Amino acid sequence: MAAVLEHPAAGAAETAADWAIHVDHVGKVFTLDDGQQLTAIESVDLRIGKGEFVALLGPSGCGKSTILRLVAALETASKGRVVVEGTDPLALSRAHRLGVAFQDHALLPWLTVRDNVALPYKVAGRKVDQERVRALLALVGLDTFENARPRQLSGGMRQRVSIARALVLKPDVLLLDEPFGALDAVTRRHMNVELQRIWSEQKITTLLVTHSVEEALFLADRVVVMSGRPGRVIKTIDVPFARPRSPDVQRTAEFHRLADELTLALEPEGGH
Amino acid sequence: MRLRDQRVQTVVLGAVGIALFLALWEAIGVNRLAGMTWPPFSTVMVFLFDPSRQGLFLRAMGASFAMAGMGYLLGTLIGMALAGLVQIVPVLRPGVDRLSSVVNAIPAIALAPLFIVLLDREYTGMAIATLNVFFVLYVATTSGLNNASATHRDLFSVLGASPTTRFFRLDLPAALPAIASGLKYAIPAAFIGAILGEWFGSSRGLGLLMVSAMQNFQIPLLWSAVFIASAASLLVFGLMGLIERFVYGRYK
Repeated sequence: MAAVLEHPAAGAAETAADWAIHVDHVGKVFTLDDGQQLTAIESVDLRIGKGEFVALLGPSGCGKSTILRLVAALETASKGRVVVEGTDPLALSRAHRLGVAFQDHALLPWLTVRDNVALPYKVAGRKVDQERVRALLALVGLDTFENARPRQLSGGMRQRVSIARALVLKPDVLLLDEPFGALDAVTRRHMNVELQRIWSEQKITTLLVTHSVEEALFLADRVVVMSGRPGRVIKTIDVPFARPRSPDVQRTAEFHRLADELTLALEPEGGH
Repeated sequence: MRLRDQRVQTVVLGAVGIALFLALWEAIGVNRLAGMTWPPFSTVMVFLFDPSRQGLFLRAMGASFAMAGMGYLLGTLIGMALAGLVQIVPVLRPGVDRLSSVVNAIPAIALAPLFIVLLDREYTGMAIATLNVFFVLYVATTSGLNNASATHRDLFSVLGASPTTRFFRLDLPAALPAIASGLKYAIPAAFIGAILGEWFGSSRGLGLLMVSAMQNFQIPLLWSAVFIASAASLLVFGLMGLIERFVYGRYK
């Protein structure tokens, strides 16, 4: 769980296999419809160790989602490169080794909860491991809803299904793009506690994108703060709390101190 | 309970509407408000259900419905197949889009003489029905195949879906509501095509019945043929509406 973040001198060649995710001095420029160029991220260097949970924190439009989309092979870098598990992200997604959950639950409305969780097997052309599907539904507390359809579930339940789906193939890397961003505050806090419990059982390399300081602190091993625009990393904090974390952690003085520090870093002027 | 009340209300209001419509038809006919060519509803029904004419109407129905049905099937197949093709080979899309719009922009009645020359005149109705249905289904399917949300597409990309998997597990199911709507709206299009085609010298069918009744001033016969065609179209349209509702409930 190295705390290394910006070591430009570390040399790119040796790092490829050492990190689960290496965003290697990556920049991303979007060309808008009118031909205007928009620099979403300038030069971000981010390294995530195997089994590490990193939260990318920042205001909207700071390019944090762009970084996640680069790691998910949904975008390609304009400069620099992204290496995931020693290979190109696209190769990893083609090998069905990525798990993802978005803010929009993205469940298929025509499938039952069980079939939604089993979808990655079908997409990968593998036989569905019903035991695994059932175990994951139990893990997210929805085993009694396996035959329900997404529309019959609450927003929080849908997100739990989408997280079960992200985990079902035991991915090498889990990508969470504001998974609870559309939920109300109470449900969101509850979902964070759930996700923390689930994650502590699996310890998959995870990149979480969020704009919630508390969510980042409660869930991650390391919080990386970004500022826009163009997006760049302005601060990194190692989160000292041991796992599994109980919700009480959020009421400790240390938690509040770190939360204040992060909140300050998020202010437009960088907090100083 | 509330939903059920609403449904009952819809059905009752619908029935009242139909009853009012028929009563108005009857009243205008009985009082000759629209002249000699508007027979009362009851007269048309008596004429229509007279046992001596059963054979006549059944033969005409058989011919017209067969043409409408075959045109419907053929049009659906061609429309959906072409929509699938332009989905797989996107370069073809603008061309096929334009071609089908152009074909649809030409009134079927202008094309009918061509069909009569090219095809057997018995099949002109089927050809026009095919053309009409094809366009509806092509538009419905192509737009439906683009219905999957951006997040769903992203999900399938991250999961490493092949184009075939994406098509069968995402694009096609997401297109089903639009296709079901297309199948519904293609019903009247098929009937119009079949009957219109029969006006151009077919030897059978409701269209022929209409033309000959018109020329011979057989008003109740004319109205009966129109009634059969309208009722059949509305009935199948209604049935397709039920299927459409089921598909929407399931796939949207």
